[in-house]
Amino acid sequence: MRETRLKILQYITGIGLFFLVGTHLIVSLLSSGEPTSWESVSGRAASAGWLALFIFLLIFGLYHGIHGLRTIIMELSIPKLPAKVLDWTLLVIGLAIFGYAVYIPINAFL
Amino acid sequence: MQELTFKVQRYLPGKDKKAYIQQFTVPLRQGMTVLDGLIYIKENVDNTLSFRSSCRMGICGSCGMFINNFPMLACHTPVEELGTDRIEVRSLPNFPVIRDLVADLDLLFEKHKSIKPYIISPDTEEAEEPTAEFLQSGEELEGYVQFAYCVKCGLCMAACPTVATDALFPGPQSLGQAYRYCTDRRDAGVEERFHQADSRHGVWLCHLAGACSEACPKGVDPALAIQLLKRAMVFDSLRLKKKKKPASIAQPLAESKPKIDVPEFTVKQP
Repeated sequence: MRETRLKILQYITGIGLFFLVGTHLIVSLLSSGEPTSWESVSGRAASAGWLALFIFLLIFGLYHGIHGLRTIIMELSIPKLPAKVLDWTLLVIGLAIFGYAVYIPINAFL
Repeated sequence: MQELTFKVQRYLPGKDKKAYIQQFTVPLRQGMTVLDGLIYIKENVDNTLSFRSSCRMGICGSCGMFINNFPMLACHTPVEELGTDRIEVRSLPNFPVIRDLVADLDLLFEKHKSIKPYIISPDTEEAEEPTAEFLQSGEELEGYVQFAYCVKCGLCMAACPTVATDALFPGPQSLGQAYRYCTDRRDAGVEERFHQADSRHGVWLCHLAGACSEACPKGVDPALAIQLLKRAMVFDSLRLKKKKKPASIAQPLAESKPKIDVPEFTVKQP
C-alpha cells in the first residue's frame, strides 16, 4: 500500500499547510509594525516557536509540492523515464532544498 | 419527409492511412435511434459500413460509439434527444479502431481481468464442491448491487481523461468492479485487488472528473466506486478498516425445515 500511504501524507500535509500558511500569513500581516523590517525578522529568528513553524512549513510544503510534481510527471507517462529514477531524483532534490533552507533559520536562531 | 445527416467515421485497415468522415442522408422516423440510422445506412446505402450491435435495448453494451462528441450507446440514443439533424458518429476514443465504428475493446477486458472480477472464496473446498449457497442480507446486497450493473460497454473508459493520458491507468470500469468485489462479503480477495489498485498508475491517478459516471448508460457511477475504493484503501492502510465477517453458508436443505407446511390434498386420492 505504498502509493496509498504517500497519498495519505499528501492529504495530511495539505491540511497542515492550510493551517501553517494561514498562521504565517495572519501573524505576519496582523503583526504591529513592518513584518519585513530588520527588527521583525530578527525577532522572529530568535523565537523557537517561529523556528518550529518555519521548519514544519518547509517540510509540509516540500513534501506536498514534490509529491504533486511526481504525480504530474508520472501522468505524462514519459516512456524512457524509469519510476525509480524519478523517485530518487525528487528525493535528492527535496533533501537538498530542505538542507539548504533549514540551515538559514537554524543559523539565525543560534 | 424530414432527413438527418449522418457523418460517419470510416476506416479500413490496410487501405486507409487514417480514418475519415463519410456523409449519409437518412430519413427520420418516429422513435428512431442512432443505431436505427446506422442500420438504415447499412441496409440501404452502403453495406460495407461496420459497427457492433446486438440487443438493441441497452443491455449488451455492444454499440458504444462517440456520438456528437459524447460516448453513448447507439441503441439507447434517440436522435430526437440529440436536438440536431446532423449526427456525427465515431468509434470510441481511447481504444484502437478495428474498422469503421468498431473499437478494439481488448484493453478493457484485459484491465477488467487484471482485478480478478469474480468471488475469491476464503474456503477453497467449499468453492470447489459447494454444499449450499452463501447467505447475504438485503443491506449487504445494496452495498454493491449498483456497481454490478456494469455491461462492459467501455463508455466510461472512452470518457475518462486519465485513460486518455495514461495507458497504464486501469480505468473506471475495472476500478469500479474492483470495489464491487471488495465490498462483497462472500469475497476474500480484498488484499489482492488493493495491491493491484495501489500501483503507481493505479487508483490514485483518478482526478474525479466524473466523466465516467456521466457517460455510463446503466447508472453504475464508477466515479463513486473509485472514491469508495480510495476510502477503503486509506482505512486499510491506517488499519482502521472493520474486518468484514465472511458470509455464512446456508443450512443444507436436508437439515432445514420447510417454511410452509404442505397443504393436505383436497381431492381424494384413488
